[in-house]
Amino acid sequence: MDNPKPVASEVSTAELLGAVKRFLVEAASPALSGRDRFNARVSANVLGIIEREAALGPQLAALDRDAIAKWLPEQADGLDAAQAFARALASRSIAPDPALMSYLQARQLLVCAINNPRYASLTIAQSRWHEAATESESMPTQI
Amino acid sequence: MTPDRLSDLLTEDLARDSLAELSGSTITGLTRLSGGANNETWRLNLGDSPLILRRRPFSADSVAALEGSILGLPLADEAAVLTLANETAVPVPRIYRIFDATHPIGEAYLMGYIEGESIPQHWLTDERFGSARANLARQCGEALAHIHAIDCARLPVGIPPTTLAARFAATQKRLHAFGDVSPVMQLGLNWLIDHAPADTGNVLLHGDFRTGNLLVDEAGLAGVLDWELTHQGPAGEDLGYLCATVWRFGQLDKPVGGFGDYEDLLTGYESVAGWAPDMATLKYWEVFAALSWGLVCQTMGALWHSGQGDVERAAVARRRSEAEIDILLLIDEWESQHHG
Repeated sequence: MDNPKPVASEVSTAELLGAVKRFLVEAASPALSGRDRFNARVSANVLGIIEREAALGPQLAALDRDAIAKWLPEQADGLDAAQAFARALASRSIAPDPALMSYLQARQLLVCAINNPRYASLTIAQSRWHEAATESESMPTQI
Repeated sequence: MTPDRLSDLLTEDLARDSLAELSGSTITGLTRLSGGANNETWRLNLGDSPLILRRRPFSADSVAALEGSILGLPLADEAAVLTLANETAVPVPRIYRIFDATHPIGEAYLMGYIEGESIPQHWLTDERFGSARANLARQCGEALAHIHAIDCARLPVGIPPTTLAARFAATQKRLHAFGDVSPVMQLGLNWLIDHAPADTGNVLLHGDFRTGNLLVDEAGLAGVLDWELTHQGPAGEDLGYLCATVWRFGQLDKPVGGFGDYEDLLTGYESVAGWAPDMATLKYWEVFAALSWGLVCQTMGALWHSGQGDVERAAVARRRSEAEIDILLLIDEWESQHHG
């Protein structure tokens, strides 16, 4: 994950994404009509997802790595954490105790911030779970 | 299918067998309306009469292997339910013609056009609809009670009685089929199984009764649309669904569809049905509705992967994260209320 950043050009990936987004919103969408116009705007939003996934993805990966190490250490490296936890929950071999819920909540804050940062529930979840996280940090370790 | 081709096919069909109830034989102004990820909706005029054509643009075969498909019913069954609903006080369009999958038009039906606003952003916050919104939660409660009173014995065989256990099993199968990609969806399903209400019997549910599928005018509820997810189940399901966070379109302080309060919804329901579910039941079905939305998103992703649909469908797959955050929030709130 800590590879040196490739430098292919002085115009960064983020700048390229921004340029295409502006093109879609400011030029393509107004020039189109109906379904295509709608899809041009959807496409601009999709570029936003890609942008945010690039920014927040490493944090999500780190969170997942820690969780796998804590709860499912027998699982091979590189395994998809989401899938590993989904299957452990499906077989009821892992309990949704407060610690696991905290992980799923922290994970979901990132996932939602990538996919739809404007979703109204995200703001509520952020204040609810960030506060909870702050409280538990100042308290003795919960079992 | 191009609008010209569709217009020709409709003209041909109506020339062979005209609609006795409507005058005119010339089709004009055929336009596809935006929205609707599953079925197409077209507006047209037959002579002076505005009509709506619902049409399924793709074969459902690619997802037919998934038990408990949430893509919706055959359109003929949907039309049959609309015909039953038309006998009640629920405002629904009249059905004029049903085309089956063997018709060149494809699976489709032709119905009346009801005047009103459907796009949430147009009526949820606009002052012009202020008094409409004040009446709406109660009217929705009444409408749902009328739908739930339809005799299930009259339904098409494609809308059979169900049990929650069977639906949970189907949902689990779907989650596995989608590759078990979401721990939160699985957590939600486990929670729903563990907190399932006692069997309360089946009623006819609209199945997708929410902001976005309601037509609203300045007096309130003008039409109930989009019956493609209609099925049998417990009455509370439709009520909780209308309150699901995702269908509040950002107006979280108005729990009923982003426009109303729980109390008005339940009062309206009780005024017709003689009873209403309690708040805990409603909350349970909000979790269920969140999981359902997540499944719809996953289905959109699966359809897109199978080569069907445009960029919107791929993008909707990402909206599963809305369902997931709501599942976690609702369970968190429930646990702090019931154990905290």
